[in-house]
Amino acid sequence: MKVLNFRRVAIVLTLVWLGLFVLVPHVLVVLTSVMSPDPQHLAVWPVTLASWERLFEPVYAEVFWRSLWLSTLTTAICLVLGYPFAYIVAKLPGVWRGVLLFLMIVPFWTNSLIRTYAIKLILGNKGLVNAALLGAGLVDEPLQLLYTPFAVVFGLVYVLLPFMVLPLVSSFDKLDGTLLEAARDLGAAFWARFRLIIVPLTMPGIIAGSLMVFLPAMGMFYVADLLGGAKNLLLGNIIKNQFLVVRDWPFGAAFSVALIVIMAGLLWLYFLANQRINRQGGLDDEGL
Amino acid sequence: MTKTARFAALLLLASSALHAEEKLVVYNWAQYIPESAVTDFEKETGIDVEYSTYENNEVMYAKVKLQQGKGYDVIVPSAYLVSKMRQEGLLQKIDKTKLTNLKNLSADLLDKPYDPGNDYSIPYLWGSTGIGVNAKEIDPSTITSWADLWDEKWQGKLLLTDDVREVFHMALKKNGFSTNTTNPDEIKIAYEDLQKLMPNVLVFNADAPREPFMAGDVDLGMIWSGEVTMAQQENPDIKYIFPKEGAGFWVDSFTIPTGASNVANAHKFIDYMLRPEVGQKVVEELGYSTPNTAAQALLSETLRNNPVIFPPADVMSKAEFQNDVGDATKIYDGYWEKLKTGK
Amino acid sequence: MKVFKWSFIAAIFAYLYLPIGILVINSFNASKYGYEWKGFTLEWYAKLWENEALTQAFLNSLLIASLAATAATIIGTLMALALHRYRFPLKATASSLLFIVMMSPDIVLAITFLIIFIALGIQLGFWSLLIAHITFCLPFVVITVYAQLKGFDKYLLEAAQDLGASESRIFRLIILPLVFPAIVAGWLLSFTLSLDDVIISSFVTGSSFEILPIRVFSMVKVGVSPEVNVLATLLLAISLLLVTFSTLLLRKKYTHD
Repeated sequence: MKVLNFRRVAIVLTLVWLGLFVLVPHVLVVLTSVMSPDPQHLAVWPVTLASWERLFEPVYAEVFWRSLWLSTLTTAICLVLGYPFAYIVAKLPGVWRGVLLFLMIVPFWTNSLIRTYAIKLILGNKGLVNAALLGAGLVDEPLQLLYTPFAVVFGLVYVLLPFMVLPLVSSFDKLDGTLLEAARDLGAAFWARFRLIIVPLTMPGIIAGSLMVFLPAMGMFYVADLLGGAKNLLLGNIIKNQFLVVRDWPFGAAFSVALIVIMAGLLWLYFLANQRINRQGGLDDEGL
Repeated sequence: MTKTARFAALLLLASSALHAEEKLVVYNWAQYIPESAVTDFEKETGIDVEYSTYENNEVMYAKVKLQQGKGYDVIVPSAYLVSKMRQEGLLQKIDKTKLTNLKNLSADLLDKPYDPGNDYSIPYLWGSTGIGVNAKEIDPSTITSWADLWDEKWQGKLLLTDDVREVFHMALKKNGFSTNTTNPDEIKIAYEDLQKLMPNVLVFNADAPREPFMAGDVDLGMIWSGEVTMAQQENPDIKYIFPKEGAGFWVDSFTIPTGASNVANAHKFIDYMLRPEVGQKVVEELGYSTPNTAAQALLSETLRNNPVIFPPADVMSKAEFQNDVGDATKIYDGYWEKLKTGK
Repeated sequence: MKVFKWSFIAAIFAYLYLPIGILVINSFNASKYGYEWKGFTLEWYAKLWENEALTQAFLNSLLIASLAATAATIIGTLMALALHRYRFPLKATASSLLFIVMMSPDIVLAITFLIIFIALGIQLGFWSLLIAHITFCLPFVVITVYAQLKGFDKYLLEAAQDLGASESRIFRLIILPLVFPAIVAGWLLSFTLSLDDVIISSFVTGSSFEILPIRVFSMVKVGVSPEVNVLATLLLAISLLLVTFSTLLLRKKYTHD
């Protein structure tokens, strides 16, 4: 066992893998962002900051706020639905806990685009929801659900919910039952136990889950395109268009780098605030 | 090394070499060539066809561009990309002396501006973008032009395809301009016209325009001819209208990338696809229009006379195919971003 | 309270399974597009049976997903451990890189992966696909496992260290059992992510190895065929069988213990 030094393996693997497949590619992206666009060769040499200047056009700020708002809302709803769900599931006896978790993840093995098509059949004018509402006599004519912001959030939560639930379940697993019992015996009401014990102890899970919902949601666009009718651009649309349709790779690269920098800044602020309020901390005390 | 082992090694080498020779890599949309056509070709020639797929022209272009045309033998880009790719040296000249069935193709679809003389591309299938109407809800005779979509009564009702060039096509044609214009003033006029259309838009369809029509979520909007053929099999009320200003036309062509390693087989395959009975099978299975007149003659009367698949001569005479617009792409996309952010 | 609890669970499951239910129903629907019920048929099952390209792509997808999830879980757990327990140069850079993977839009990752593979001379196909999938799954494993590592007792590990246990022994006997739930969660998330990816896969795969999502989405020209619903149904059926089977086994074990 001494020969294969465990610690060294872990560190070298981390650095080599991330260096080769993440750092090098992203250095290329940063380089591309200061090159000049060229319709024939995608990007050519004279260094320019033109792409970076374009980022300040007001159109893009608007797109950024819309994406940010949509991701935040999705994360909040996932948390509100996922937190009690994870709590209930984590407290089930061994076998059932596993079964329910497995059953929760199974639908996600069918590609999310195919499931998004199915959601269209549910929310459409002649879809299940409207059929039920009409049948129950609650409405006289079909509600326009599809191609609205409601449909977008419905779909985003649907696609991202397990990324909230799974880390939460594992953090509820660690929650010490005796601590809660002691608190109860000492007369702490449910709300007090929840606020003072449960939430702080599961904070790592809350943060992990929120990150895994929020960050991918910022770049996601197909759900909004298919269910929202593609009437509003999101960050993901702009970047995809720049790389594939307009083929202005430097601008697409600049946009993408800017997005990462802004998000990193937001995360940093968040962790800073979080550490001040609550030394329980989240994913990164040294990282980031 | 024993004799048998050496023999076995040789055999292995020989068979792998043979294998490499008898191979063809086709890069295309999934099922865009009838499966039986591919297997028949394999049986007849002994060439092993590897059929790789892409979701759209843009992904295909980026991938071929980055690999400098290597890795594939036959690609099926749309016209505007044929012109772009051939100018960038990603396509090689097709040896037409090897295509014995070239004579089957209609002159209507040959020698177009995107590839004069068809040195680099052989048209495979084509179609158009027009107006779809659900006849149960809207009288199709009241809709005759793109301009009709601007009517205020369609507020929040229309389907447009989620494609910059197709959406601008409507507005450009409505104002009497070419769909391939690179004149910034003309594009601007089209943009200002589209701003007025925006309140009518319910959805920019990003996948298949027939779906919202068939689901009953929209009754009026842009649609592709092939999608109408598919939709009509289930819902005959969905009608197709060629707007009088001119529908949008596209054509997908066989091309051979410069880095192809099985050029001879690629020619064999293209020639095979040009056979009348193969062309017939293609139309019957896919519902798109073929440029192959010999194949047309073999089709049943209903298919041959279906105006969606084979539009009348007056429509064809006005047909303008979408071409690459070079740097003007940026002008179009700038306006597109503005339209979609409500400006 | 109990009623409320179970109706909440039921509501969440209804939300998750409603779209899947529609796919299952449509796999038996004679109507090709599934907007209305046109009678029961097994035609699509028969068609899938004959459709070698689609079933092969489906199997390839499962293969890549299970390999990528397993590899990402192993590498990711080691990374989480390294980031949590050890001090080493460039540590902060390493954790930022993980966040960057999560924040990068798919299309950017897709293009950069392709450029790297071309530069390294890695042939596009199975291996390039596997490496790409492992990479984009990694942060999800690391974050899940790291969150779990954060919560437990440092003194336990220090005690083991003082007693002379090697790092690998500590890992095997103490850390692994404690973070096991997170490792399972990380594997499930990776498997899901891998099966779901379209855009990165379409850039990094070659002509010799095709996976299901690409096959399905490149059907847009001719319409996604109902065989895809059949695949979703079969996947669901297999998963349900698996879960029933393992539950029965586990319950037996529990009652025996």
